[in-house]
Amino acid sequence: MTDFLIGLFLASLIAALFTTRLYRLLLWYSLNSLMLGLLALGIGRNIDDNAMILTGIVTIVLKAIAIPYVLKNLSQKFNFIRHIVPEIKVQYAIMLVPAILVFTFYLSEPIVDMIHTNANYVAISISSLFLSLLLMIEHKNVAPKIIGFLSMENALFLLGVTATDGMPMLVELGIFFDLLMAIVVINLLFHKEELQI
Amino acid sequence: MIYYFGTIVMLVLLAPILLSYIKAVKMVLLFKRPISLFQGYRNFSKLMQKETIISEETSAITRWAPFFILSPLVLILFFLPPVTQGSYYVSFVDAFTITGLISLSTFFLMLLGLDSASAFGGMGSSRESFISALVEPAMVLTIFSVSLMAGNLGIGQAGVNLAEHFPQEHMASFLFAGISFFILLIAENGRIPVDNPETHLELTMVHEAMTLDLTGVYLAIIESAASIKFIIFASLFASLFFPFGYRLEPVEAILFFIIKLFIIATIVAILEVNTAKLRLFKIPNLLGLSIVFAFLSLITFYVLGA
Amino acid sequence: MMLTLLLLPAVIMFVVSFVKQERVKYLLAFTSFMILIPIVKLFLLSKPYNILGSYLIADELDTYIFLVSSIVGIGVTLALLTLDKHVKVSPNAYRRFYRFFAIFWVGLIFSILSNHMGIYWIGLELATLSTVYMIKTNYTAAAHKEAWNYMIVGAIAISLVLFGIILMYASAKPILGEEAMQFDVLLAHAKDIPSPFLFEMGFAITTIGMFVKMGFFPMNLWLANIERASFYPVAALFSGILESAVIIGFFRFSKIAMEVNYDHLFIFVFVYTLLTIFIVSFLIYRAKDFMRLFSLSGVEHMALIVMFWVSGAPFAALLHFGAHAFLKPALFLSSGVLESNGKYKIAGALKGFVGIKGNTFLFLVSLFLLAIISLPPSPMFFSELYGFGAMITTAKESNHILAMIGAILVLLILLSLIFYRFISIYQSMKYEGETKEKDVYWSEVVALIVFSVALLALIFPQTLEYLDSIS
Repeated sequence: MTDFLIGLFLASLIAALFTTRLYRLLLWYSLNSLMLGLLALGIGRNIDDNAMILTGIVTIVLKAIAIPYVLKNLSQKFNFIRHIVPEIKVQYAIMLVPAILVFTFYLSEPIVDMIHTNANYVAISISSLFLSLLLMIEHKNVAPKIIGFLSMENALFLLGVTATDGMPMLVELGIFFDLLMAIVVINLLFHKEELQI
Repeated sequence: MIYYFGTIVMLVLLAPILLSYIKAVKMVLLFKRPISLFQGYRNFSKLMQKETIISEETSAITRWAPFFILSPLVLILFFLPPVTQGSYYVSFVDAFTITGLISLSTFFLMLLGLDSASAFGGMGSSRESFISALVEPAMVLTIFSVSLMAGNLGIGQAGVNLAEHFPQEHMASFLFAGISFFILLIAENGRIPVDNPETHLELTMVHEAMTLDLTGVYLAIIESAASIKFIIFASLFASLFFPFGYRLEPVEAILFFIIKLFIIATIVAILEVNTAKLRLFKIPNLLGLSIVFAFLSLITFYVLGA
Repeated sequence: MMLTLLLLPAVIMFVVSFVKQERVKYLLAFTSFMILIPIVKLFLLSKPYNILGSYLIADELDTYIFLVSSIVGIGVTLALLTLDKHVKVSPNAYRRFYRFFAIFWVGLIFSILSNHMGIYWIGLELATLSTVYMIKTNYTAAAHKEAWNYMIVGAIAISLVLFGIILMYASAKPILGEEAMQFDVLLAHAKDIPSPFLFEMGFAITTIGMFVKMGFFPMNLWLANIERASFYPVAALFSGILESAVIIGFFRFSKIAMEVNYDHLFIFVFVYTLLTIFIVSFLIYRAKDFMRLFSLSGVEHMALIVMFWVSGAPFAALLHFGAHAFLKPALFLSSGVLESNGKYKIAGALKGFVGIKGNTFLFLVSLFLLAIISLPPSPMFFSELYGFGAMITTAKESNHILAMIGAILVLLILLSLIFYRFISIYQSMKYEGETKEKDVYWSEVVALIVFSVALLALIFPQTLEYLDSIS
């Protein structure tokens, strides 16, 4: 089950890399976060960790529902361009994305020998990190950059949930806090731009 | 042996119903009165009785090509994974053979389109080769990856292995290969969002353009080739990615298989109703997605073992 | 108790910034002096002193760095008193700046004094996200664009740091359980980590994140651009205080990594910093205004600090760090006056100072300019001498002494390029161009005096002994 959900996680991230519409990108991000939340719920129930179940529920509510909704409202209020075209042409992206995947998978190959469980989860979260960096870099508009940053947080969370069987509550709280603060600052930055006009 | 031939005959007979079924589901979803499910047979018999006219500018290829289009596809019918437990199957065929046979059929279709020297034919052939160039590597990688997961490179044996032991430990790669194969199913058979099978407008047709000025027997052959291609893909998808129902009693297994085919057709129909056709130069985005997923499935299985 | 004393000035600053009177800015500058009280107390207590369980521990290293940062903070708030005389800023923006400065200070306290990797990261993230807004107080289009750039790059950098922290935690969790998040526990058990490759990968990713934040290769120019687009106190804050938060993280992580595998660490960091200094020296050669010049020079000094720390000369690294943290903000603050006749006019910037204030300012700024390129008796001179000596000593034990000598030669050539550029800028500032009268205010002169006293205090033998005892 874990493998299936992680597969769907990576699949929605790669679909987000190839899309050219803003609202579809938000949909892929919210599917991404939904898979992450379900994963946290599943693993939390397996090892009986209440903190992880709680963070799974908070992930689903906050990242899969609230944040795409807020971003959609923001994009309507500030009239974002909805047709986002990547700077890298698609034929090069078809070569670049597998190259990144191969590179990150081979980067984590020595770990497979050293950790007996869950070594591939580390590899998939590293590749999700690199792919969300690519998502940030390849678009010029601001909305995909925000989504890329949020997907990076998702990749971090995936690493924390699967590779270490739960991190101390403090760090998870810190990640959520970071997310909220980032959204507040983004909102402020946009608000000030509106005032300036 | 009897189940083997029985399955093949059943697939050939079922092919026109499946395409009419897709059309009927679309019409029901659009609140129209649906066509009858036997419309495919009626079209076939009507075309067989019609007079066959060939344009003057064509060469001999137009007379021979339709048979070359149909025969590789009929050949593939003999290599599909078995449906039920007592059935005979061959397993010396692997991903390259199946892809090669399908591309052979497509190649002759493209030659047919070019042969009539009309603008539509040339345009259709060039678009088809554009799509084909992206579909083929994805198909090879996907079917190869699934055969690796099943432990045997032959498709028949791979289907049997998957039915006996569903790969729980390779769910991630299996999922990626499934998504990739579904996109290929849509692209190769010319459904929306890649190609509109119901229109004959210049802007939107790919497969229809290549067969635009054929009538009579030849058109009947090509239409049945299209329906057989769809049923080949649907049965590959059903037996490789939903390998359930192998162990039932033979008659029940065959019935279950037919139900799976109809479910796949329903999913394709629902997708067709809800999606708009992609612009031609956006098709590489979709097919690129399929290539990346196929590649990802292969390396996830190979490097990570997941 | 100690924690409340530490957090109190920041809270007071935050609350006072909501008051709308004009005189309030003197009170705000005074609150930054209050932070010296708990620091002096921390110095006198026995180390290591637990401030909050095992989450915040004050040992010698972070007390020193904290002291340096707070002196810089005092100087910056003093200079902020006359901000509106040099640039256009509204009173609202000024007060908002102080609010974010308070949040920045809280984040800084948590990150410098922390013993827990997670709390370190939370403090760093608080500090980063609050500085984004501080750039925006300058209401120009360039500032808006640069604030966005900083948001993106800063977010990438701290996410990379967190990723590396999680990997390092995962590598040590099998033997240490939940305590694997604490620096001192990790340092004690560094040799027993079951999967050193995982730890090294985590360390590499964290280091890349921290280097991106400090402006190393390949992101050299973003730091220069944001410091150009914001006010000069913000630039001073960046180079003095934020860098200290990042560098203490690097110090702690690299100490653990040195136990795990010293060779890999050395090669990785050495090549990286050499590449950075190579690029930055050429960028400095072409710099045409003060802010970019100073921020690029800051990058170069940070690279030298990292190099000295990794080569087994922590004393040199700490001395260099202290000297840089006093000199660079002083130069940034003085650039507010130096640029009062135009941003890109380097010639004649040091002419036209009259009176006691003017002449003191002239004297101090010339000294600082000459001190930052390591002319004796600046502490940087001593630290570079000692650092290079330690690098050669480390190389003597391995087989790579020739490579090390070659690298030092290349480094000296690059540093001399920077030296040449700074001297030519100094000469053009002092001897060319026309003489125009410039206004200097008492608060800036006092800030510069504070910095120079701190710099002098660095060369006292007692301070040098203390620094030696840290390493």
